[in-house]
Amino acid sequence: MATDLRVLRPGKPAPRGIGRSLLLTLPIVVWSLLMFFHPGGTTDRLSLIAASMTALLMIALFFMMMRTRSTYRWRRVFFVTLGLLFPVGFIHTVIAMRGTMGIPIEEMIAGRTPFCFMPIPLLILPAAFTKSLVFPGSILPAGGMSGGGMAAMVALWLCITLVMGRGWCSYACFFGGIEEGVASVPARAKIRKTDPRWRFGPWAVLLAMVLLSLALFEPAYCMWLCPFKAVSEYVAARNTVGLLQNAIFVLLFGGLVIVLPFLTKKRTQCAWFCPFGAFQSIFNKTSIFNVKIDKERCRPCVLCQTACPTMSLTKESIAQGETLMSCTRCGACVDACPRNAVVWHIKGTGAAAKPERARLMFLYAAWAMAVMFGGSIIAQGLATLLHFVI
Amino acid sequence: MKLRATLGYTAAGATVLAALLTPFLLYGMFSKTFASLGLHVDEVYSGGPKVRTVQEGAYSIDIHRPVYPHMLQSEKPFVQLDWRPATALPEHVSDMVDVNGTGQPDLRVSFDVPRDPKAPLRVNVEALNPRYESMRNAGKEKYSRLIVRVDDAIVVRVPIAKP
Repeated sequence: MATDLRVLRPGKPAPRGIGRSLLLTLPIVVWSLLMFFHPGGTTDRLSLIAASMTALLMIALFFMMMRTRSTYRWRRVFFVTLGLLFPVGFIHTVIAMRGTMGIPIEEMIAGRTPFCFMPIPLLILPAAFTKSLVFPGSILPAGGMSGGGMAAMVALWLCITLVMGRGWCSYACFFGGIEEGVASVPARAKIRKTDPRWRFGPWAVLLAMVLLSLALFEPAYCMWLCPFKAVSEYVAARNTVGLLQNAIFVLLFGGLVIVLPFLTKKRTQCAWFCPFGAFQSIFNKTSIFNVKIDKERCRPCVLCQTACPTMSLTKESIAQGETLMSCTRCGACVDACPRNAVVWHIKGTGAAAKPERARLMFLYAAWAMAVMFGGSIIAQGLATLLHFVI
Repeated sequence: MKLRATLGYTAAGATVLAALLTPFLLYGMFSKTFASLGLHVDEVYSGGPKVRTVQEGAYSIDIHRPVYPHMLQSEKPFVQLDWRPATALPEHVSDMVDVNGTGQPDLRVSFDVPRDPKAPLRVNVEALNPRYESMRNAGKEKYSRLIVRVDDAIVVRVPIAKP
């Protein structure tokens, strides 16, 4: 097995031994047991089966990351699973609770609109000026679909962002997996060249939405532009404006999450549109982990640039030995480099100082968050499917 | 250089520790901190704080503080009135409501209360005070002009004509 892997990935270090890989996976085994089977957790049989399957998946994927020393393809399995199962669990819960994916105005007035992370940057300015949160949810749990309330989601976002910066977009976002899954379907990209200026799109959308949300005192992105309303929930269409809003959601979802990722093999919504992604990029500056390019080893073959799903590498950034600030820490570039010139890195240390140590430290932190947050969503989606099947 | 590397590894270790502490400490801590910031959900959604309650036999009417939209918000100013409990309401409600607390009725509000809690509601509001707008057969068109059932209350929002 070890020889086979070496043959498949020339220039890459040999795979770890099974024993050492198991040892390195042990902390994640303990963590998964803690997260999925803690005292006071669910006792429902199907939920326990779903939790066991999820724990096994997360442990197996981490083991493979340790064994093969590659990150991207195993993370992608988790991320696509998350992207596919989030709508299953969420839509089932929404329909079971209120009979429709449309949010009735009664639920908004009652503060029971589920709060996802997308509006977080839109809330900051109105809250700073008026102490008002421009979202029809509740700060603390209010029953129904309010979940843990806005405080819970903001706290989770803050914890994960402190740990990973924009790694959020590769280990926590329950929407990104859908387009990553679509992008992985075709063997080759039909569209290979795109205008690099599109990468400023998320910043433009962020700026426009932040200002609009302040002016209109409503979460403008959620009201008008979020493509993922098509697979979660949306404002119940009571009039022509509502119909128009829903048509925009469906068109954006179809274009940015299905068609363009299929044609480009890139996460086009994340790279060209998502304002939350742009916001998260700021926190890449505060995150201690990043990806560096060893300029001495690098022969600019641009395989890393081709592999990057969010277009966070350019010839200029490669020449400077860095990724762009939109890097989501997915590991695709590191795995793609045949000369091991692209490496995981801890800020403050040398460019090529023990990259595997940096990778391990990042992965322990990121996978702990992935098990805790994404894992619980996967388990919920699986439990929903099991309820239908069994 | 060595100092920078040491600081880097220390920060990386602290980050791993933060990840491990998230479900046991940090999540709860950040959540409580956010909840204690004194922020509130925008009153266009929540209806503003309740200022008075008027008892009307078996049920009561909660009167909220008037809500004035911010900047370019596409809603009119409004006042929210809650009839509760909905289970104690008669089949047809017609109440004179003193919104301002001046002792004089400002609005005559009338609506039917269907037994089916999911049935659509319609309200007629006659403004006895020019500060408020009348509504005829209003449903749930806008946040500032509606009648809806929220849990065990029937919520009516009446637009304010002259803030």
